[in-house]
Formats: sequence, C-alpha cells, structure tokens
Amino acid sequence: MNAPLYKFGFFGDGFSLIVAFVIGIGFGFFLERAGFGSPRKLMGQFYLTDLAVFKVMFTAIVTAMLGLFYLGWIGFVDMSLVYLPPTYLLPQITGGLILGVGFVVGGYCPGTSCVGVATGRLDAIVFLVGLMVGIFIFGEFYPVIEGFYNATAMGQVTIPEIWKISYGLIVLVVVLIAVGGFAGATRIEKLMSAKKGGLQT
Amino acid sequence: MNSILSRMSRNARLGLLACLLGLIAAFAGSPYSGTRVALDTVELAGIVEREVDHVLAADLADWIIQGKMDYRLIDLRSEEEFNQYHIPGAENVPLSGLPDYGLQRNEKIILYSGGGIHSAQAWFLLKADGYKAAYMLLGGLDEWKDQVLFPYVPAEPEPEQRASLDKMKEVSKFFGGSPQTGNNGDESYEGKPLPELKSPVLPDKPASSPVKRKKKEGC
Repeated sequence: MNAPLYKFGFFGDGFSLIVAFVIGIGFGFFLERAGFGSPRKLMGQFYLTDLAVFKVMFTAIVTAMLGLFYLGWIGFVDMSLVYLPPTYLLPQITGGLILGVGFVVGGYCPGTSCVGVATGRLDAIVFLVGLMVGIFIFGEFYPVIEGFYNATAMGQVTIPEIWKISYGLIVLVVVLIAVGGFAGATRIEKLMSAKKGGLQT
Repeated sequence: MNSILSRMSRNARLGLLACLLGLIAAFAGSPYSGTRVALDTVELAGIVEREVDHVLAADLADWIIQGKMDYRLIDLRSEEEFNQYHIPGAENVPLSGLPDYGLQRNEKIILYSGGGIHSAQAWFLLKADGYKAAYMLLGGLDEWKDQVLFPYVPAEPEPEQRASLDKMKEVSKFFGGSPQTGNNGDESYEGKPLPELKSPVLPDKPASSPVKRKKKEGC
C-alpha cells in the first residue's frame, strides 16, 4: 500500500508503519462514515434492499481506472510500475467464494469487521476472533494446501493481454457495466424495499 | 443541451462524464505510452553520489537469515562460477540476458558479480531501462566472502567489539563459512588465499524457492 515510496527505500520500516497507520485510520473512518461498520447496511447488499456497497466499490473502481488510464496515457504515470497481483485462477476463485460465504454468514468483510470493532460492536468482535482463528488454521494447514495455493499460476496478466484487445475498450466496457449497474441498483433498491418493508438501517 | 444537463441529477451527470471518458478511452490507445522514460542522468548521478544505489553484504546476509523475500538477487557471473558457489536465493542471469529475464520494473533487484564492475554496469543498464529499484551488492562476491563468509575476527577483541564480532561469527557459520582469526591485527586478511568454499553445506534455497513465492501485497 505504501509503494512506491516505501518499496524504493525513500523511507524505512518504522516510518512506513506510521504511514500505514494514517492510511488505515483514514480508510476505516470513511468506511464507518459510509455506514459500512453496520452489518445491517452490508447485508442490505445481499437482500437487494441497499446496494450502497456495490455503488461505492464500483465508483472507486471506475474513478481509479479512468484516472490511471488517462494519467498513463498522457505519460504522467509509468503504468509498468503499477503493481499487478499475480493470478492464481483456481485458488483465487476458491478464496473469493470462501470470503463471500463468510461475508454473508458473518455480516462483515475483514475490513468492515475492524471498523465494527472500533465502534464497539459485539458481533464484529466475534467476527474478528473467527477471522483470527481462520488465519491460524490456514497457517497450520498451509503445508497440506500449499500445492493448491500455488496452483494454476498465470503470472501478472491482464484481460487485454489474454484476449488481445485494447485497454481502452475494457475501460469503456467496465464504465458501461458500472453506470448500468448504478441505474439498475437504484431501481432494484426501490423495488425490494417496497416489497420487504423491513430490514432498513 | 443545457436544459437536458440541468434536469439531470448530479449522479446522472457524473455517470455521463464517466461514459464519455470511457468512450474516448476506447479510441485513445495504450495507457503504457509513459512506460519508457527518458534517462535522467542528473538523477542517476545523484543516486550514485548519495550512495543509495547499493546494499552492504552484512545487510543482505541479515535479510537472508530473516527470510525477507521482497527482493530478487541476481548473480551476473557465468553459469560455471554460479554452480560452484552462489549466495543463497540468487538467480543466475548473464549480463546479456538481463533485459529479457522477466524482471519487473517495480521489483527490488539486487545485482552482484565477482567484483563490482559488472554489477555496476548492469545496474546502469537497468536504470536506463526504467527499473526503479535496482541495487548492487557493494564489492560483489569478494566483499561477501570478506564480510560474511570469512570475516576477520581478531583473536583478542576489545570488550565493546565482542557483541558485534559474535554476531559476525554466527552469520558466517549460518552461510557455511568460517571466521578468520589472525594474531597480528594490522595485517590485511584480504591478501590471504580464501579457504575452499563448501558449497554443498550451504542452504541452497532459503525458505522457499524464488519461483514459487507469492508476493504478499495488496489488500
């Protein structure tokens, strides 16, 4: 998160922790202010009564994507320096599903559970304890699952590279999906709240 | 046109702006045009002058012992020399193969050769090609031998030196070397022939091989 300043040695380990702390507090603050410290708000996502999470995430994606694309295009940002997490297709799909199930069952995702703990929510504390237990179990079983963990390694790949299409086209498609999603989400929210009546924050 | 815009909500206007930018992006070309940067010789000279272009053998040894994996260690010597001995975790890449070796421009890369000349040249090549975090091992493998594998430890050290000398000895043993003790402290150990390297004893790969490691980064 602190790249490139930390990575390239502009400051050391100690200072990077301070930077991480400040960024973390800021991230948590805005999550809380957006209402994401409440599992009711988050759960609205899955009952289709409140799609704020979807809208916030897609807004962030579209903003960052357009910003990076144009800054790279005018030569301000060297895109080859932007970190690409390597793709491990099957383990990542599995991990995503496990996280999704945990999200639905527990009412939090890892980041929002920390926000919930900060505001003193008991369910968030239970969730965080479960998260720690999960980390511990994963660590203990790592030698057993290491093969799968490193399976289907594809390296640092992007969709334009695999499908041989231009980056700009992907940008357009994602923007259209997002804007269509926003319009659709607002309509679905109205429809579902009218139907259910309950489960409001 | 104005009346349509004014009737739209702020969100709808932002959405429209995003669509417009997306549409232009589809025809704009590659965002990677800023990838090749012009060589900034003043900046390079500054890096060299500030001496932030290299890492010390002792620091590298510490990183290997701690299992720090946030760098790639590149051995620029010949395959033969590499097979004879190399620093644990190193990858053998000849100078000519460096541009195509698949190093990332945002990776921390530590270069070393026998002395220091080849690694310095390779460092410049990488820098010129836009690699941001290239470093060289100061003094190369010679320095690694002198400082880490076979460090000179005086037979009767000063009391305040003892702690750091003990650490040197431990580090040396970790890498399969042996500390050199001499009776006359002012005689340089550098001229002495280095003992045979015990390659098989060395932990060839530290915690995990560099190929398999996953980067712990992101959210």
